[in-house]
Amino acid sequence: MSNRRSRQSSSASRISDDQMIDLVSKLRQFLPEIHERRRSDKVSASKVLQETCNYIRKLHREVDNLSDRLSQLLDSVDEDSPEAAVIRSLLM
Amino acid sequence: MQPTSSMNEEFLKKWQMGLQIFRPSIDNTSVHERKKAIKLSADVAMASLRKGTTCWSRALIEKTATEDNFLVRQMLSGIKAESLINKKLPKKIVCHRKIVRRSKKILRRKSKSASEEAAAKAKRLVKRRTQGLRNVVPGGELMSNDVLLLQETLDYIVSLQTQVNVMRSIVDAAEAEIER
Repeated sequence: MSNRRSRQSSSASRISDDQMIDLVSKLRQFLPEIHERRRSDKVSASKVLQETCNYIRKLHREVDNLSDRLSQLLDSVDEDSPEAAVIRSLLM
Repeated sequence: MQPTSSMNEEFLKKWQMGLQIFRPSIDNTSVHERKKAIKLSADVAMASLRKGTTCWSRALIEKTATEDNFLVRQMLSGIKAESLINKKLPKKIVCHRKIVRRSKKILRRKSKSASEEAAAKAKRLVKRRTQGLRNVVPGGELMSNDVLLLQETLDYIVSLQTQVNVMRSIVDAAEAEIER
């Protein structure tokens, strides 16, 4: 069903079905929930966007957690110890 | 479309260089300061992989520069990427919600069928989720073009995975070393 109204709106700011399908296929490798579903064109666009957001937030949390652990490591190691030397060689 | 080993290597090298430059914020400082330095250097390293070709990476560099202008600039010159700072960013698009809502109200009055209402509802949901994406991708609020936003998102995800993979390997190795 042709929708004149939507075609009149700026095409640059709407995501077309083709583009969404393309995005879903690329995100499939990252998002297992979508991978398990049926065909890509059946997955709702809003679900894909939501899962993508969640995934990015998850990655942010991981970076934060890893930075935490690393700064603790640098703290707990005595400056002159052999462990400190190893860590510094890994990092710097 | 996965992080390549060359991306991992390049990130590691740049991050290591960055950590050296951030030493003053790492040695003999609080755990909080140290964590901030670690994250900043990791973000600059990640953003520099794209050599200024993506909007998110330019926006991220700008953001790290506001947190520690001096050290970020030092790091950029250390990894030979001075040009990345002050790269032009697209102008911030201000969305005039009132106007959009008013025009949507007028359109809505005309549509009476239930299926049209459902479609409109779905569109609104997509719009909301897209806005959510803008909030988590650096520079997202500057990308009014949804297609661009999606492309940038994909690139950002691959870069984040690189950052996470390398950081995880280092931290795991370091923790294993301590436990010995």
